Amino acid sequence: MRVGRCVRGIACAGVGLAVGLLPLGGVSAQEALPGVSLGLQYADAYLPALALKPFTGSFGGAGVAPQVEAIVGRDLRNSDRFEVMDSLPVGLVGDDVVDYSLWDRLGAVWLVSGQVEGAGEGFVLILELHDVVYGEVRERGRFRLPQPSDEDFRMSVHRTSDEIVRWATGDPGMAASRIAFTMTDNEGNKDVYVIDSDGENLDRVTRYNNLVESPAWSMDGERLALTSWKTGVPRIYEVDRFGGNEKMVPPVRGAGDYITPTYHPDGKTLAFSVLGSDSRSGIFTYDVEQGCCLSYLSGGPWYDISPTYSPDGRWMAFNTLRFGDQVPQVMLMPGEGGSAETLSPYEYGNGGYYTSPDWSPNGDLVAFHGRIDFRGRYHILVANLEDNGRVLRQLTSEGNNEDPSWAPDGRHLVFVGERSWGFGLMIVDVTNGRVRSLLGGRRVGVPDWSPALAPR
Amino acid sequence: MIVRRFVVAVFAATLLVGACGGDPPPPPPPPAGPDMDSLRAYNDSVARAEAARRADAERLAAERAAEAERQRLMREARTTLEEMVFFDYDMSEIREDAAARLRAKVAILRASPTVQIRVEGHADDRGSTEYNLALGNRRAEAIRQFITGFGLAENRFEIVSFGEGRPLQQGSTEADWARNRRGQFVITAGANAINPGN
Repeated sequence: MRVGRCVRGIACAGVGLAVGLLPLGGVSAQEALPGVSLGLQYADAYLPALALKPFTGSFGGAGVAPQVEAIVGRDLRNSDRFEVMDSLPVGLVGDDVVDYSLWDRLGAVWLVSGQVEGAGEGFVLILELHDVVYGEVRERGRFRLPQPSDEDFRMSVHRTSDEIVRWATGDPGMAASRIAFTMTDNEGNKDVYVIDSDGENLDRVTRYNNLVESPAWSMDGERLALTSWKTGVPRIYEVDRFGGNEKMVPPVRGAGDYITPTYHPDGKTLAFSVLGSDSRSGIFTYDVEQGCCLSYLSGGPWYDISPTYSPDGRWMAFNTLRFGDQVPQVMLMPGEGGSAETLSPYEYGNGGYYTSPDWSPNGDLVAFHGRIDFRGRYHILVANLEDNGRVLRQLTSEGNNEDPSWAPDGRHLVFVGERSWGFGLMIVDVTNGRVRSLLGGRRVGVPDWSPALAPR
Repeated sequence: MIVRRFVVAVFAATLLVGACGGDPPPPPPPPAGPDMDSLRAYNDSVARAEAARRADAERLAAERAAEAERQRLMREARTTLEEMVFFDYDMSEIREDAAARLRAKVAILRASPTVQIRVEGHADDRGSTEYNLALGNRRAEAIRQFITGFGLAENRFEIVSFGEGRPLQQGSTEADWARNRRGQFVITAGANAINPGN
């Protein structure tokens, strides 16, 4: 479509809004809305087998080596790039020289070996990625690790896991990242929590004992913007990732609901929605670094909410009620505001409910969720901006699924899943459809996946 | 009588003694006898006092009753002002039953110009959390539009959305959801000056 052309520099015809179904492998037909064909579509992906040679330690690193190996092994499984083989006993595979023919016979394509050395205050992890087929070391790296008791220990190991993914695939990983979300307590109050990408280190961020929604990570992963009702009306606050140094952005008095913040890739501009203000409703931006410059992008009596930027910041997807009640749609517009076009497949009179867009860090996909049948089930959907026919891919098929947010690898989405056993945070691999549970059995909401976290 | 006689004797003795001391004192007032006029006057005054007292009490009771009635009407008016209205699923349109409740509020608000209201919009928990914030706001706005459509000043009504965050009922039945899709009314000023109107 026209927006797609503008966004991706790809010519595309101004065809209608009908959404086609690509008959890829594993399609399961669904009840369809008029003009929308949906199905679970996953390419049958070949995953190369990856083995971990038991990590060894020296100069005091022996005690830490198994911990590091366990973290790396789980990260590589979670990356969904490899078929990670079960660990093999040291006695079977030897503990120094790599016997490539043995690993080849075991079926490994990649082999990761690691050695942890004590080094002053912390440790050094020496990682090697072996290409078993060619019988050679493909990559090698040395990484500093703090003490295991250090707050940054696990994140430091996660960064090495992401390096292995990059060595083997050329793509970014997502192990060194956190997910912010809301959790409801027994009194019905919500607070913001964060959890590491591997489900460890669940931490409470805010202690408002009130209502809070829509946590959003800053580009450096050190701050969160959120909407709190702590004064009785919804206002946007920025806090550090421990919940401290809170400030209201923008600092406003008077009427209006300030909701659904998101950071611009420039790291200093915050976009958000103001509803029911005396002046205007719609999407605004504010410079949180300068503390100034409230600027109106779009809106009107119809309400635009939930903005999300393209990775270059030149475009924005958002949710709108401009077609009326019951048919919220996802639209695209230039990042500084301007005329908007629908991304979701809206056809007048045919309904359709599409909300909570999140723009992929790779720039090519926008995820959102939609009510895709008349039983009122909500599923995670992905629209491809490069695609002429605007294929909507449906990523979930069970229960209710809401509020997708992209991992920094542009391949995984975290979302809220509602199943017969309750609610939980779930992660889906957009490529192969594999779903794993991140945090089950809690009343969670509106997750936001951080960018890749650099060393502090 | 013995006492009386004794008193008279003492009195006489005193007179005698006093006579020795100087001028004679003025004669004592004659003892009050059974005078029918004064008795009637006395009775009348008692009756008048009693009537006045009763009238006072009645007036007080009436005042109290009136005040109680006024309070009751105020409470009723307050209840009417605070009465919630409900919405259809995923809709911000004012339903007929909601319109009736809002019209009752308008009558009171017209007669109570200092009263200000915060209209709170709520949604049930189906659908998107963020969309439900917008839906709640839209419901609150629809209520404000309806009320101010009767000529009431817009600045007497602020609106706020709680989305799906503050359900009345926790369950997941249609009945629970129907209770949670609502507009609530909080009196933020002039609560002591609610005039029930006519």
